Amino acid sequence: MSFGLAPARVTSTDSTQGEPMFKRFIYLFAAASLIFGGVAVHAQDAGALLDLLVRKKLITDQEAEEVRSELTKQVAETPAGKLKLSVPITELELYGDARLRYEYRGGRTAGDTADPNDWLERQRERYRLRIGLRGTLADDWFFGIRLETSQNSRSTNVTFGDDTSTTSGTTTTFNGPFAKNSDGINVGQAYLGYKGFRDITLTGGKMPNPLVTTLMVWDGDINPEGAAEQWKHSFTFSFGESGLAQAEQSYSKDNKALAISKPAAEPWKLKIDVFANFAQFIYDDSNPENPLGARSNSGGNLKPNTDAWLLAWQVGARFNFPKNFYFQLAPTLYNYTGNGDTFNGHFVGGSPFLSNSDSLALNQVGINSLLVLEIPAEFGFKVGELPVRVFGDFAVNFEGDERASAAGFPNKGDQRYAYMIGAGIGQLKAKHDWQIQAWFQHTEQFSLDPNLVDSDLWDSRVNMEGVAVQAGYALSDAVIFNLTYGYAWRVDDGLGTGGTGDIGINPLDKYQIFQADLNVRF
Amino acid sequence: MKRIYLSLTILVSLMGSAYADRLVIKGSDTLGAKLVPQLAEQFKAQHPGTTFDIAAEGSTTGIAAIIDGTAQIGMSSRRAKSSEVGAAAAKGVNMKPTIVAYDGIAVIVNANNPLKSLTKKQVEQIFTGEVTDWSAVGGSGGKISIYTRNTSSGTYSDFKELAMKKRDYAPGSQKMAGNEQIASEVGKNPAGIGYVGMAYTKAGGAKVVSIDGTIPSIQSVQNHSYSYWRPTFYYTNGEPSGIAKTFLDFTLSSVGQKIVNQVGFVPIK
Repeated sequence: MSFGLAPARVTSTDSTQGEPMFKRFIYLFAAASLIFGGVAVHAQDAGALLDLLVRKKLITDQEAEEVRSELTKQVAETPAGKLKLSVPITELELYGDARLRYEYRGGRTAGDTADPNDWLERQRERYRLRIGLRGTLADDWFFGIRLETSQNSRSTNVTFGDDTSTTSGTTTTFNGPFAKNSDGINVGQAYLGYKGFRDITLTGGKMPNPLVTTLMVWDGDINPEGAAEQWKHSFTFSFGESGLAQAEQSYSKDNKALAISKPAAEPWKLKIDVFANFAQFIYDDSNPENPLGARSNSGGNLKPNTDAWLLAWQVGARFNFPKNFYFQLAPTLYNYTGNGDTFNGHFVGGSPFLSNSDSLALNQVGINSLLVLEIPAEFGFKVGELPVRVFGDFAVNFEGDERASAAGFPNKGDQRYAYMIGAGIGQLKAKHDWQIQAWFQHTEQFSLDPNLVDSDLWDSRVNMEGVAVQAGYALSDAVIFNLTYGYAWRVDDGLGTGGTGDIGINPLDKYQIFQADLNVRF
Repeated sequence: MKRIYLSLTILVSLMGSAYADRLVIKGSDTLGAKLVPQLAEQFKAQHPGTTFDIAAEGSTTGIAAIIDGTAQIGMSSRRAKSSEVGAAAAKGVNMKPTIVAYDGIAVIVNANNPLKSLTKKQVEQIFTGEVTDWSAVGGSGGKISIYTRNTSSGTYSDFKELAMKKRDYAPGSQKMAGNEQIASEVGKNPAGIGYVGMAYTKAGGAKVVSIDGTIPSIQSVQNHSYSYWRPTFYYTNGEPSGIAKTFLDFTLSSVGQKIVNQVGFVPIK
């Protein structure tokens, strides 16, 4: 395919005629080596060699340009070169990950139930796949889409062998081993945004969580739907040895070090990233808002005709001190408005005074009386080259009394707090990197939205506390091996453990989980 | 009947003749705002009867015009992208570049700005928005106003590649339709910074800053010591022919290259 190129150029370019044999050879060699060196390589990126040949005056700029043009044409005709992107796309990134997981998850009944201290255990071999495209468009717009396995908002896992048969009514259909019923591909993210205003990012759609938070409040798999407005600005201050005066003059500097002419000594610098994130998430759409005729009743109550929204206001800052020390704080206030038609019942969260099945049948998902303040915090530093971080989160539901009363436990309004604290060392960025982290997490029954908390720690439940340990090792830059173990128990024995998890026990008196993950990211 | 046939023959001949002397040139504002019109004027003096249709709306439009067959010459201050070459090949169009002049993309600031030089790193930081205040690059302080070309401009993408490691422009940068608009805005705005082709550096109120100690000049561009040098092109569908070839040859001739020099570009020889 490429043999004809260089001779054609030589014979068609007058400037090469009469040149020494060596010069012609270099010219031919340059063209051939660029071609055989990898057609998939973009010809314009292969220009370094051509530039060198021009600088050495072995070929002219025009000759280099013709070779470059010919190579570009050949690349464009390869399969990779035929991949077309529409003109408005200025940048496109394909990314994702695939994971294989072994998981043990078990829960124990309480000692005073019909089946006291009995363990319900599950062992699952699972996989997940997430593949996304995100890119920037002309004029400061951007977009993203990600496809994920599993329909669950809090999980992208698919369990091997879980779909050998399906039952509809009284009919059971055997799909055979290795069936595909649960191997669906779903849209996990689909969002559009704009960054045209200084320091501001506006996003709409089904998006990655724009809030700084922890898995105590938000499961990491949740991609909330709605709108978000983010602002971030960096301020840099310099202190000491003429730095103080500089700081006064440079209050609103952007995030890079200031140029100080001939300082007497290196100033002490503080960089502060201040941010504010606001979100309006459509929690539950009510359909229809305006039905034909009069609104119907359900259980004596009018059926809801407004959407439920989750609103969040977050302001925070990250203080970056010298020597890689940082501290971040991001207080957030959450509130819920409207009704929706799925989560508008009063949350109860189970009861230890009922049978397990009756307790499970109580409302586990209601979002009434939730006005939550969350304060995630983290500080970090380096020990040698090893990053160390200490992290924590605290949350309080200001309407804990009302939520407890509505659940039928008016004397349990004090169960409104949640907190976690932990520490980690290491990182998982490149081959042979490792990381260990451990934390304690405590979530009271009426403190948080049980529909958002992490599904693994602790089984999507509240009124649980316990410890978790994670250890990871990077087998390569792209392959991470992770182990997670968690053990938890009930906070208040006079309450159920609200939320809908994988373990069909309420109250969940004891809980433990072990996961071994092999994760390939790309 | 014979008279009608004769009249039609004459009419067709006249139309053919008229078409042959009409040269449609589209593309780069950098080339098309000054250089090519002046070349065209001189060319018309030597080739009476030739008419030019010149549209300078950005290099992207020039390359697209060659692909679509709506121009005989596509002016471009950047190389055709692989996607454009591929689109051309799919239509049987062979994008042939001919270097007609060199240019240096000059970084300009307001004449009252005390700044005289920048490093390549500082230029990258300014235009990507990493640095937003003049004091951070040795200026006298104040928020930096960035002026760039619009996205159809070859200079826009060339500068991104040459000076910004292909990173995105700062979100707040203001996009201008042409070099002259950038020079004009920077000349009026004491906090302004922008970039223009060398032919547009004489605008009142603006001045050129050196990059890593080098000012764009004929010498520094020809020997490629100025970091933001670039070739500028005529694109044709294969080897040019007819009036397009004649005009291209004229551009490359000593007369044409003299005009290149006079306008402010750097001759290829």
